[in-house]
Amino acid sequence: MAKVEKPIPETNTWTEPFWDATREGKLVIQKCVDCDQKIFYPRLICPSCFSQNIEWIEASGKGTVYTYTVVVNNAPSAFLDDMPYVVAVVRLDEGVQMLSNIVECDPASVHCDMPVKVAFKSINDEYTLPVFKPL
Amino acid sequence: MSLKGKAAIIGIGEVPSGKFPERACIVSAVESAVMAVKEKKKKREDIDTIIPTGTVYNAQYNNEMVTGRIVEELGLSGVVKNNVSVFSGGSSSSTMLKVAAGLVNIGAAKYILCLHSEKLATGLSLQGGIDLFSTAGIAKEWEVPFGQHYSSVAALATQRYKYETGTTDEQLAAVCVSNRKWAELNPNAMFRKPLSIDEVMESKMLSTPLRSKMSNMLADGGSAFVVTSPERAAEHTDKPVYLLGSGSRATHFVYSQEPDLTRFAFADAAKDAFKEANLTPQDIDVMEIYDSYPVYQLIGFEESGFCKRGEGGQLFSEGKTWPGGKYPVTTNGGMLSQGHTGGGGGVALLVEAARQLMGKAGERQVKDASFAAYTSTGGTYFDSHVTILGTVVPD
Repeated sequence: MAKVEKPIPETNTWTEPFWDATREGKLVIQKCVDCDQKIFYPRLICPSCFSQNIEWIEASGKGTVYTYTVVVNNAPSAFLDDMPYVVAVVRLDEGVQMLSNIVECDPASVHCDMPVKVAFKSINDEYTLPVFKPL
Repeated sequence: MSLKGKAAIIGIGEVPSGKFPERACIVSAVESAVMAVKEKKKKREDIDTIIPTGTVYNAQYNNEMVTGRIVEELGLSGVVKNNVSVFSGGSSSSTMLKVAAGLVNIGAAKYILCLHSEKLATGLSLQGGIDLFSTAGIAKEWEVPFGQHYSSVAALATQRYKYETGTTDEQLAAVCVSNRKWAELNPNAMFRKPLSIDEVMESKMLSTPLRSKMSNMLADGGSAFVVTSPERAAEHTDKPVYLLGSGSRATHFVYSQEPDLTRFAFADAAKDAFKEANLTPQDIDVMEIYDSYPVYQLIGFEESGFCKRGEGGQLFSEGKTWPGGKYPVTTNGGMLSQGHTGGGGGVALLVEAARQLMGKAGERQVKDASFAAYTSTGGTYFDSHVTILGTVVPD
């Protein structure tokens, strides 16, 4: 079977600062200037107070694994060669959740509420994914 | 304002689910529709509105449903006033019923045919199905690049649910076994051979802790139901199935944004539905709980109030949800055994709720079923719906 290219994020104009930052090894999230709500994924309006007065802040990059799974069979075509890989929902210390991969560890060692910190994995020259490794 | 008792299902239709390479998708649609329409003992020309729900195996076929193919196939050109698609993935059953009930209640339609047809087993390759469901409803910017797909989606909820409730893999497997017990009695089900907990536990691991026999199988299928006002319903049947209550919440688009992957919003949805119906979970005779994976069936069952959180696994393990048990749950076998026909998995389960209340469920009929609760959810479980149906309208 021909190798299937990894899906790259289908980005939006207002999310570009996020991907610009990951390319430089930084994890940024949004913060509402009016109500202080931390926001991920990047939005057009604050989901808490409807304000459009939103700014970018650098996140601590630390969090915990809310839940995870080790994909061992029947992955999407572009990920067949990656198995086993860990998909996880990470809760950042800032209170926001994001989907990511847990890397640089034995998949069997990952567990719920495990402390993790951000790392960066480039897919191509343009896009770098924020992934997480054990703290 | 409430739709309680303001609409009724008077006809149902369904074709067998499974692998039917020779059966064109439109055949599933037309045969289901004919059954549902004929059952109301009235002329097909009375159908003035058709609500097809979405089909995902083929965009062209879906467009045909949106733009009136079923009107023409049923010979209703110039008769049907509105052909309008209502689609919310697996919860389309609930949203179609709600929209249909609203339309008949305000007099905008007299008889509404709601229908679904899908060809996910033979209209797609297995890998094609996996690839389709790694993007359908999964956010392309925030989840697809990390290898998220439907098995990992279900596994993420299962892992955390196990962690918080202490539910075991064997108890999750018991949900699959319970559904199979019902499917053994369902001629329209894809899988009817007896299934054991050991077989589930020995099946291939997909995404930990989710195994292949804890996963639904994509199927071809079709089902339909006809909705009208209670006054018109009385002209056709002595057992109309009344809409008594409905509650729902949409809680996320991106799966990882769900605040609680072990609960979703079924508790709030159930509270609204039971309040509207003026019933309690103890009044319900049959619980058609949306599955697709065992964890969601446990969550739907527990959060709707049929048992305490974390106690569902035990009830399923003890066989209390099997035919003849105290809690008849998901009596068509659910998507785990009847087969997953996309949005139709939910439609089939709603049709089953109506079938049980009409007393037409054959070998798997729950005796004297008067009230049914039905749950559904769409996409990556983006919404939580609870619907209460009954043969009478309580005060």
